[in-house]
Amino acid sequence: MYTTGQSIIVSGGSRGLGLHMVTQLLEAGNKVATFARSYTKEVGALSEKYGDSFYFAPLDAVDVNGVTAFVNAVCDKFDGQLDSVVNNAAIGQDQLLMHTDPETIQQIVNINIVGPTLLTRIAIKRMLLQGSGNICNISSICGSRGYAGLSVYAGSKGYLDAMMRALAREVGEAGIFVNCVAPGFFESEMSSVLRPEQLDTIKRRTPSGKLSNDENIFKVVDLVISGTTNMQGQVVFVDGGITS
Amino acid sequence: MERTEILNIMNMIMTKKGRSEITDESQSTREVNFRSLDFSETALRIEFKIGTELSFEAASMRKIETVKDVLDFFEEATKGV
Ligand SMILES: NC(=O)c1ccc[n+]([C@@H]2O[C@H](COP(=O)([O-])OP(=O)(O)OC[C@H]3O[C@@H](n4cnc5c(N)ncnc54)[C@H](OP(=O)(O)O)[C@@H]3O)[C@@H](O)[C@H]2O)c1
Repeated sequence: MYTTGQSIIVSGGSRGLGLHMVTQLLEAGNKVATFARSYTKEVGALSEKYGDSFYFAPLDAVDVNGVTAFVNAVCDKFDGQLDSVVNNAAIGQDQLLMHTDPETIQQIVNINIVGPTLLTRIAIKRMLLQGSGNICNISSICGSRGYAGLSVYAGSKGYLDAMMRALAREVGEAGIFVNCVAPGFFESEMSSVLRPEQLDTIKRRTPSGKLSNDENIFKVVDLVISGTTNMQGQVVFVDGGITS
Repeated sequence: MERTEILNIMNMIMTKKGRSEITDESQSTREVNFRSLDFSETALRIEFKIGTELSFEAASMRKIETVKDVLDFFEEATKGV
């Protein structure tokens, strides 16, 4: 583990990759805060095990006042410090654009674009005053490569990559590092819409012959937010080489 | 907010970054090396102090050239807050 002793926010840490990252970061001695719309029993278990080092709030990523109050509460609980933010919360898509209803389009844009932008905006204010910080967006290979049925989702991930590059230029001088980790498909509730034969096709086309798992992705996130590299404004692919 | 208070915040940022304090309002921000992120940090510190977000008009920010302009800008922005 590279990241230890930090105060960290991971959005969407109630299940899937987010839950794995929260668990590993707590295990490594970090203070970790997370939010999701609903509470899960795994969140309850983390509260019991890690006490004051862990903070969860039920919150929708698009609730401007709620996100601001959450960041303020985290800073109060974690001695005023906010070292890293991992923008992980997102929703997927499983339909051709022509069959995706306007409400769903709006929802994807709100949760996957507006949500992380709001959280990042508040976090960088804190980080600017501290003179240090790390922002890591979980984007996706879909942000750089075309996959049918994922057009709006792909656009939202491409947005994260593009915003990250501009932001790195805006705040890099203040000791704030902004990067993206772009996973290939991995098993989770989000990718459960893929049929087994689709997953097999993806595996066959992947040079490493296997999908990434939570731990593969977390290992890269851990390094990115550790503050031990000089990596700035980059998208790191963790996809077994499918985009190579 | 009083000009002296704003200048104190600016100088706190300058000294934190190992730069000399600003003494002459007529100097350009470039001359004293008061950079755009220092402007942002000043704004954030003022916001924390007054407990509300300031609104920034891009057009008036573009006109800023001297230390005096910065002080005028924040004095105006915090008027009545
Ligand atoms: N799975 C893949 O194959 C894959 C591939 C590439 C990239 N990714 C990216 O990896 C990240 C994690 O994906 P995952 O597969 O672990 O997803 P997941 O299992 O569906 O979990 C998503 C998490 O985000 C939370 N969330 C969703 N909408 C939210 C909202 N409006 N406000 C607050 N929290 C919200 C969810 O909790 P609630 O629903 O309770 O709010 C949950 O905790 C995402 O950014 C995803 O785009 C996934």
